[in-house]
Amino acid sequence: MNTPPINIVLGVIGFDCHSVGNKILEAFFTEQGFKVTNLGVMVSQEEFLQAAIETGAKAILVSSLYGHGEIDCVGLREKCREQGLDDILLYVGGNLVVGKTPFEQVEAKFKAMGYDRVFGPDCDLATVARLLREDLAARQRAD
Amino acid sequence: MKSYQIPFDRFLSIRAEVLKTWPTGEGLTLEDGLAYQRTLPPAKNFARAMATASREGRILLQPRAGVALIPDHIKLLQYLETEGEADLLPTTIDAYTRQNRYQEAANGIQKSLEARASLLNGFPAVNHGVAGCRQVVESVRSPIQVRHGTPDARLLAEITLAAGFTSFEGGGISYNIPYAKKVPLAKSIEDWKYVDRLVGWYEEQGIPINREPFGPLTGTLVPPFISHAVAIIEGVLALRQGVRSLTLGYGQGGNLIQDVAAMVTLKELAHEYFAREGFTDYELTTVFHQWMGGFPEDEAKAFAVICWGSTVAVFARADKIIAKSPHEAMGIPTKEANAQGLRASRQVINMLRDQKFAGGADFERETDLIRREVRCLLDKVYELGHGDLEAGTIAAFAAGVLDVPFAPAACNHGKILPMRDHEGYIRVFNRGQLPLSAEILDFHRSRLEERAKAEKREVCFQMVTDDIYAVSKGRLVGRPR
Repeated sequence: MNTPPINIVLGVIGFDCHSVGNKILEAFFTEQGFKVTNLGVMVSQEEFLQAAIETGAKAILVSSLYGHGEIDCVGLREKCREQGLDDILLYVGGNLVVGKTPFEQVEAKFKAMGYDRVFGPDCDLATVARLLREDLAARQRAD
Repeated sequence: MKSYQIPFDRFLSIRAEVLKTWPTGEGLTLEDGLAYQRTLPPAKNFARAMATASREGRILLQPRAGVALIPDHIKLLQYLETEGEADLLPTTIDAYTRQNRYQEAANGIQKSLEARASLLNGFPAVNHGVAGCRQVVESVRSPIQVRHGTPDARLLAEITLAAGFTSFEGGGISYNIPYAKKVPLAKSIEDWKYVDRLVGWYEEQGIPINREPFGPLTGTLVPPFISHAVAIIEGVLALRQGVRSLTLGYGQGGNLIQDVAAMVTLKELAHEYFAREGFTDYELTTVFHQWMGGFPEDEAKAFAVICWGSTVAVFARADKIIAKSPHEAMGIPTKEANAQGLRASRQVINMLRDQKFAGGADFERETDLIRREVRCLLDKVYELGHGDLEAGTIAAFAAGVLDVPFAPAACNHGKILPMRDHEGYIRVFNRGQLPLSAEILDFHRSRLEERAKAEKREVCFQMVTDDIYAVSKGRLVGRPR
């Protein structure tokens, strides 16, 4: 294992202060060998971008638990492109919309916003880590 | 006795600044709010409802609810009142308003109008203003409480109290530590003294307004002694400003004996510390929050969690229950799901109302333990504040003497880690800087070792993670897979 650790940025977007899962995600991805920059709760799109640029992150993992995800998450992909982060992976997960909604609808909505993968509140973290590695490898091959 | 109350002229000068922070605050007078409150029937007064129910030994049921638009919010509350048989109504405030982002809230209102659905997770009361909020008050029969999570709730309080709301949740600690990232504790405590002073002013004019510090904090494995210490401090700070109707809260932990012991000691210890601070003229009630952690997605399983919470609340002699809905795992519930949670809770309350919790040796052990733990913390807080609770609180959070697990606030130490023992009691795994006695810490440790042995693993961080997700996965204690 001589490859340098992969930088990822983690945070809860908007004015959401759900902090418990965020702390668990930080511990989990660190243990999985990623270099995690955890911005914590109440993170703006600009803060996500700035951290991704500064750390040379390959992926941004956005959480939203409070229902405003639909308002808060739109436009992040466009901002990434504007900043030259064309290849960065965007993952989003949590309770992304207000009210119980079929996951397929939520997934379609956020994929249309430019998120590479969309997760519900009960997703298995080991699966997320595996998908992240696969997606990163695919990006590298494409380069 | 030293007076801590904000002098009235100082209050008025702060008030003038607060009202300027959004157009709906401009021109708002205390007299107009008072005159309106005086027109409301006693049945719409939250403080009176709490006092009467407590005297009669009835448990009141209250949901959480709030949507972006006034007509929809009214329909929602009316539905919860009729179909849900709620005794008390809420108005849950959206997350933008909680951070004083009224422009973003305005955007959310606009987007909700376009989408014909609420894109906000609550009711933006400041944007709707006094007239809008009064429409809500006039459309229902029951008293309404403002429920939120706002570090600086001064304008929100001015508007909602003037509009006829009669209870206001929160506090300078409980609405900062779990709800903010960068707000200094001294600032939120100061801003909440203003809210309490406003409530105290209404009390002086003969309008009782209920105040409810937010008991559950982060709602995740919070040991009872930590939330008790915070609740007692916030109670004292409120009483100092003239609040008289106080409801202290506790969030269900999951072990029956620990939860009943927690509710019993909460009231008892609060009376003790309020007396120590020289207060005798107040009305103290309690609220029990059904499970505040992660819920199972399966609605049948969610109902089981809801009903277990109601069971414990009855045995614990709570005065009020805050109910959850079967949609909890997915976020904000529909009005139908919300009413279902209330009706399930009602059935449990009615079936258990004449039964008593027997107590026993374990119950005595736990009540005694919580009393000693709370005294360890509060003794140190007084010591750090050289006798003053408020100064001591700010110093205690800085030192980690008060520490709330998993909280987002930078002013929280964040070193303590809780964990369940073999029977599901919440214990302390990593004490951080909590000033618990060696005897108490040994007890916690021995209980955790007992669980670890049964699970054939060392006491470790993985157990904390397992505990956090255990209920949503179908059990209380996070056993190894």
